[in-house]
Amino acid sequence: MNIAELFVDVQLAGRPEAEAASRRFNVPIRTVASAQLVYASVASLEDPIGRGKHVLYLTRNRGAFIKSCPGTRHYTCCGYKILHIGTFCSMDCSYCILQSYFHPPVLQYFMNQDEMDQELGQLFATQLIHRVGTGEFTDSLIWEPWTGLSARLIRTFSGQNGCVLELKTKTAWIDPLLDLPHRRRTILAWSLNTDEVIRTEERGTTSLDERLKAAARGAAHGYPLAFHFDPIVITNGCEGDYRRTVERLFAAVAPRHIVWISLGALRFMPELKAVIQRRFKRSRIVYGEFIGGLDGKMRYFKPLRMKAYREIANAIREYAPEVCIYLCMEDDEVWEHALGFHPAQRGGLARMLDDAAIRQCHLTAQAAEGLR
Amino acid sequence: MASDFGEAEAPEPRFVPLADIDPGDERFRISTRRESGDLLASIRRFGLRVPPLLTPARSGFIIVSGFRRVSACRQLGWDSTAARVLPTASEYACALMAVAENSLERPLNLIETSRALNLLEQTVPEGQTTDPDASALGLPTHPNVTGRLKRVCRLPSDIQDGILEDTISFAMACELDRLDDDLGVTFACLFRRLKPSLNKQREIVSLVLEIAVRENIHPRQVLEECGLTPSMGRSEPDRNQEIHVLRRRLRQRRFPALVAAEHNFLALRQRLRLSGGFQLTPPRDFEGTGFTLSLNFQTVEEVVRLRGKLDELINHPDFKILLTGKGRGFETPSDS
Repeated sequence: MNIAELFVDVQLAGRPEAEAASRRFNVPIRTVASAQLVYASVASLEDPIGRGKHVLYLTRNRGAFIKSCPGTRHYTCCGYKILHIGTFCSMDCSYCILQSYFHPPVLQYFMNQDEMDQELGQLFATQLIHRVGTGEFTDSLIWEPWTGLSARLIRTFSGQNGCVLELKTKTAWIDPLLDLPHRRRTILAWSLNTDEVIRTEERGTTSLDERLKAAARGAAHGYPLAFHFDPIVITNGCEGDYRRTVERLFAAVAPRHIVWISLGALRFMPELKAVIQRRFKRSRIVYGEFIGGLDGKMRYFKPLRMKAYREIANAIREYAPEVCIYLCMEDDEVWEHALGFHPAQRGGLARMLDDAAIRQCHLTAQAAEGLR
Repeated sequence: MASDFGEAEAPEPRFVPLADIDPGDERFRISTRRESGDLLASIRRFGLRVPPLLTPARSGFIIVSGFRRVSACRQLGWDSTAARVLPTASEYACALMAVAENSLERPLNLIETSRALNLLEQTVPEGQTTDPDASALGLPTHPNVTGRLKRVCRLPSDIQDGILEDTISFAMACELDRLDDDLGVTFACLFRRLKPSLNKQREIVSLVLEIAVRENIHPRQVLEECGLTPSMGRSEPDRNQEIHVLRRRLRQRRFPALVAAEHNFLALRQRLRLSGGFQLTPPRDFEGTGFTLSLNFQTVEEVVRLRGKLDELINHPDFKILLTGKGRGFETPSDS
C-alpha cells in the first residue's frame, strides 16, 4: 500500500492508529468533517480510481459491520456474511467491481472496531453456523501490514465454535498469521486465475506461484484453505489454461486441506465496461460474448459458462473428488450442466458450505443443529 | 465585447475595386455555404442590400464578412463593389464582427460554430478570455462542449459533410474523431450513404471495433470481410434492408455462440409447426429458463381448436427437447 494522502474523520482525530498510519506512510494527517471532502479531493482528477488507491481515509463505519451477501433471486447465493472492515483495494484488477461500486472509490478503513466486536459477539451468540468474510469490499490482507486486524480477528474467531472466518486475498502476506492459535476457525483463501489473466488483468497482485506457495505455508500451519476461480475469463482454449492452473494448485496443496473451491465466470455491471476500456486499454476481457443477465450484470452467454465450469470442475474432481465445489451466483440449470446436481438436492448451497465448514473447521454439531 | 466593437464602429460604405479584395484569405470565414447562385440572382435584381465587411491588409483588403456576396459580385462582372471597411481594427475585433454578422443573423451549424470558437480563440489578446464575447454572440462556453466542438471543423471533410447533411450527429462525429482518420472517414462515407439512425451508427461502430479486438485484426479488415465498405451494394435500392443485413452480419461475428443458438432455436421451433394461434418465445438471450407461449384467439371455438393444438405440442418430441436445453441452442437440433 502506497499512500499519498491520509484523511482522518474529525471524530477520530488523535487516535493512536491514525498517528501510526501517518508515520508508516510518511504523510501528514488531514482531518476532515465529512467524506465528501475526501471524495472531492479525487473526483476531479483524470483517473480518480487510480488516485483513490493512494488515498486513505480513516473513518467510522456508520452502517452495519456484518451484512448479508447481496445475492439476487435469479441466481443461487451462498449465504455468506460480509464483515465490512473497509473498502477498496490497493491492487488494481481490471475487472474489479469496486471501481464502479463506490463513487469515487478511496481506501476507507473503519476504526470503530469496538462496534464490530459487539456485532461479532452477537453473531457468535446465535449458536448458528455462519461463514463470515472480509474480502467482499476489499482484499482481506492488504490492511494487515499496518493494522494487524486479521490477526486480531483470527484470535477472536478461535474463541468460538459456530462461525468461520474466510480471509480472501490475492496477496501472499500471511506469514505474521501463521503461528496464531487459529483453532481452524479461519480459512485462508486465494483467488486463483491463469498466469495470463493474472499477468494482464491483475495489476499489482502476486503471481499464481506466490499465492500457491503461501497457501502451502498456511496448510503447513494447520489452516483450512479455500480457493476461488473467480473471475473465470472465457476465451478460446481457456479451459486448457485453467486445467493447468488446477494441476498447479494440487501440486502445491493436498485436497485434504481444502474446505471449498468456488467457480465464478466474469460478470460485471454494464457501467464497468467503459471504466475498463478507459483504464485498461490493453485489456480484452470486456470483449467476450456477454449478454445481459437477469440480475442486470453482463454475463457470458450461458452455454459458454456451462462448458467452462464443467471442464474446470472435472479437472478439480480428478485431483480432489471429495472437495466441495460450488458455483458463485448461477442458476440450477448451470449447476446441473456443470456439476451434475443442483444445490437443493443437497439441502441448499448454504447447507453444503456449512457442512464443509463443519467437517474442515471442526465447528461443533451443536451450532450446526441450530441452523436446521 | 463592447470595447472591441467600439474599436471598429460601423463604417460607412464606400466603393472598393474588386481586384483589391484578396479572394484567397479566408481567415474570417464562418459560413460553410460556398455557392452563391441564389445570391447572384438576388443582387442582379435588387442590388447589393448589405455591403460586405472588409479590413485593410498589407495590400488591398481581406474579407471579414460577405464572402459569398463578393464572389457573386465578381460573377456579375462588376469592377467594384460597395463595402464597409473597418478602420485599423485588431484581429480579434474583426473576428468578433465576422462571428456576429453570422451568428446574430441566423443559427450557426456545428461546423460554423466550431469555426467561430476557433477564430475567437486564435485571435483573442493574450490574457483575455473569450467567454463573455462568445456568450454574447450566442456561442456555447462550457469547456466540455467547446473542447469537443472546436475539433469539429478540423475533422476530415467527409465527416464534416456528413454533419452538414444531418447524417452524422455531433455525438457520432466525436466518436469518429477518436478513430484513425481513415477509419473515421470510412464510417462517415458508409453512414452518409446508408443514413442509419444514431443508435444504429453507434452499434455498427461498436461491433466493428469489438470484433477487431476479439480477433486481433484491424477494424478495416472487419469492414472488408463483412462487406461493410462505403461502396458496397450501390445498386441496392433499399437502405433499410442493407442496414439490416450489415447489422446481422456484424452481430453474427461478434456473438457467434448466441446467434448460433438463436438459429438452432428457430430451426427447432419450425419443426414444431406451430399454428398461427401460437407464439413461442425463448428466454431473452437464453439466460433464464422460462419460455413464453402466447395464444391468440377471438372465439370460444378458436380456444377449443388451440387446446387440441396445445395437446399436440405438449406431446411433440421436439418440444421436450426445446424445454430441456438442447433446443435452447445449447446443442444443434440435429444432435438431439
